[in-house]
Amino acid sequence: MKNYKIAWRNLWRNKRRTIITVASVFFAVFFALLMRSLQLGSYDHMFRNVIESYTGYLQVQNEDFKDNPTVDNVFAFSPEISETILKDKNVSDAVPRFESFALASSGSLTKGVLVMGIDPEKESLLSNVKERLVKYKLTEKTIENLKKSELPETVKSKLDLFKGESYSSGGILQLDLGIRNADSSALMPIIRKEASFSNGYISSGNKEVLIGYRLAKYLELNIGDTLVLIGQGYHGTTAAGKFRISGIVRMPTSDIDNKIVYLPVDVCQELYGAPGMLTSLALCIKDNSDKKINRMMQSIGKEMPSPLRMIEWREMNALLINQMESDNKSGGIMIAILYLVIAFGIFGTVLMMTIERKREFGVLVAIGMQKSKLAAIVSLEMIYIGLLGILSGIAVAFPAIIIGQYNPIRLAGEYAKVYESYGMEPVMPFMPVDYYFLWQSVIVALIVGIAIIYPVRKIYKMQLVNSLKA
Amino acid sequence: MKIIEIKNVSKIYNESEVQVNAVNGVTLDFQEAEFAAIVGPSGSGKTTLLNLIGGLDNPTSGEIIIDGTNLAKLKSSELIDFRMRNIGFVFQAYNLIPVLTAKENVEFIMNLQSWSKKERDERTFELLKAVGLFERANSRPAKMSGGQQQRIAVARALASRPKFVLADEPTANLDSKSASTLLEIMEKLNHEEKITFIFSTHDARVVKMAHRVITLEDGKVVSDDVRE
Repeated sequence: MKNYKIAWRNLWRNKRRTIITVASVFFAVFFALLMRSLQLGSYDHMFRNVIESYTGYLQVQNEDFKDNPTVDNVFAFSPEISETILKDKNVSDAVPRFESFALASSGSLTKGVLVMGIDPEKESLLSNVKERLVKYKLTEKTIENLKKSELPETVKSKLDLFKGESYSSGGILQLDLGIRNADSSALMPIIRKEASFSNGYISSGNKEVLIGYRLAKYLELNIGDTLVLIGQGYHGTTAAGKFRISGIVRMPTSDIDNKIVYLPVDVCQELYGAPGMLTSLALCIKDNSDKKINRMMQSIGKEMPSPLRMIEWREMNALLINQMESDNKSGGIMIAILYLVIAFGIFGTVLMMTIERKREFGVLVAIGMQKSKLAAIVSLEMIYIGLLGILSGIAVAFPAIIIGQYNPIRLAGEYAKVYESYGMEPVMPFMPVDYYFLWQSVIVALIVGIAIIYPVRKIYKMQLVNSLKA
Repeated sequence: MKIIEIKNVSKIYNESEVQVNAVNGVTLDFQEAEFAAIVGPSGSGKTTLLNLIGGLDNPTSGEIIIDGTNLAKLKSSELIDFRMRNIGFVFQAYNLIPVLTAKENVEFIMNLQSWSKKERDERTFELLKAVGLFERANSRPAKMSGGQQQRIAVARALASRPKFVLADEPTANLDSKSASTLLEIMEKLNHEEKITFIFSTHDARVVKMAHRVITLEDGKVVSDDVRE
């Protein structure tokens, strides 16, 4: 009988042992795939958040702006630039921006701020500034009214902890007050009604601004108040102006929230003495695959007049990419620890199997089976076990990841707050099936391959008399 | 015809710093179709001597020549092959392969020797009938009694028509009825197949049936009686 047939038969003559060993490989593959899918899915989600809400995948900039982002490194926007860009069928629109710095002042208070001139309507195609407007505020009066309402005592007791806080999303407000999803439909309408905050947006040509919630707090400003901006304009001119605050936005990162001032792009150009100038033109694209982006970099880039150039999301978000890479390394360490646990699990099972079969191996060699044949049979048994475990792990992980991809894990409690505070949805999506699937399986296969060395070595080193006594 | 020659064989084990002479200068010959028993108290070297004759262990000194082949001159793989073709083993603890049925255990060596299926089946059923377990051909060892397992072990040892069978205390774990049945079977097969049987034993019934009784003490042969 051929070795492969003997090995297969041996496996199913000791079902329990086989199932235990296959299970150890199965769980190894299953958890490795799930963990990696979640990790890669989270990175992907984070990138999408940043790219799709701020930088976009592609921008047109003055070639010096990235290294020296001053108001002097702007470019003159012309309809020809737009036409050239929009000729590409993958571009749906181009969003203009004018970005600079200024000193903001209110009364005796001053602060350095980031001034962002945007097209109020077009910007919604790319980032969600409108969505970040403060919608709810827990003022003293609001809290007083809510305490008189039918809210449970547990919720009422938390209100004072968040006095003065403002929220651009009902989700964070709900999390702060510790309201469970099951109770939200009954309780949140009461809170929303009382805490609702009236906020305005900006429109082209009007000298109005949106400012970050923390910046407003620092400068002791509110809606309707006036903000003074002073800075250096284009080619050494002085940029100075008074602006009415029409809205307060709550930005995800405190750093941005502490310094952001949005104003209409035309008003911003006027402030800096650079009419018709932009610092960047962000492209809204339909297909964001690397292949398409690379193609667009080449084709549109070629047609851009000097000193303009195309810049893609990787270059714009180099810092974020570096952070992700370092996080990926620590994720890699976690995966390595998982592999180590997996390896010990598999090795433990193989060790147990080898000790359990020591006498059997001894008898087989004593009655005439060559050690090489025995080692080949045991190796084949392990290979079958490895294959069964890996294939079943993939078979179960595959639909689980597909389901997870369409129904991402929704976080709750403190974890959700951390995500929300960084402006990200509190969800952990799974990465769609990709090359990582193959790699995880190959790594587990290698672990099984290494584990085979132990029984094979034991067979070749076997002392027959000792084995027969085992 | 002489099939086994043991020439001044010794086996010394080094246990810590104490040397143990398990077999001490033994010289013996065995003829074809002998039914011999090696007796002696525990620790007298019976099992060690059988292991040396079977090539399961190497002597410290001396030579073991089987049918003209000096075991010491064989490479490890050649020795395994030699055992498969020439020696049958019956162990005290049966040592059947647990994952194989009775039939598969018996035909295992024939499989290793690449016998045809027809030849294997004929020989296996012949032996299973001889040991009275034809009906249990498809049973696994765990489902059989000790006596039945030892009978299967005898059938396995004889399957490829070896030159001799080494049986290490084959009746030690059996009740008296099973032991008697086993001995009768072995004596019958010895007679019919002209295969040499060498036992190590404490069992008086084995000694009584043996044609030759070799007594060991402290690893030395103290008597070698041949009965007519």
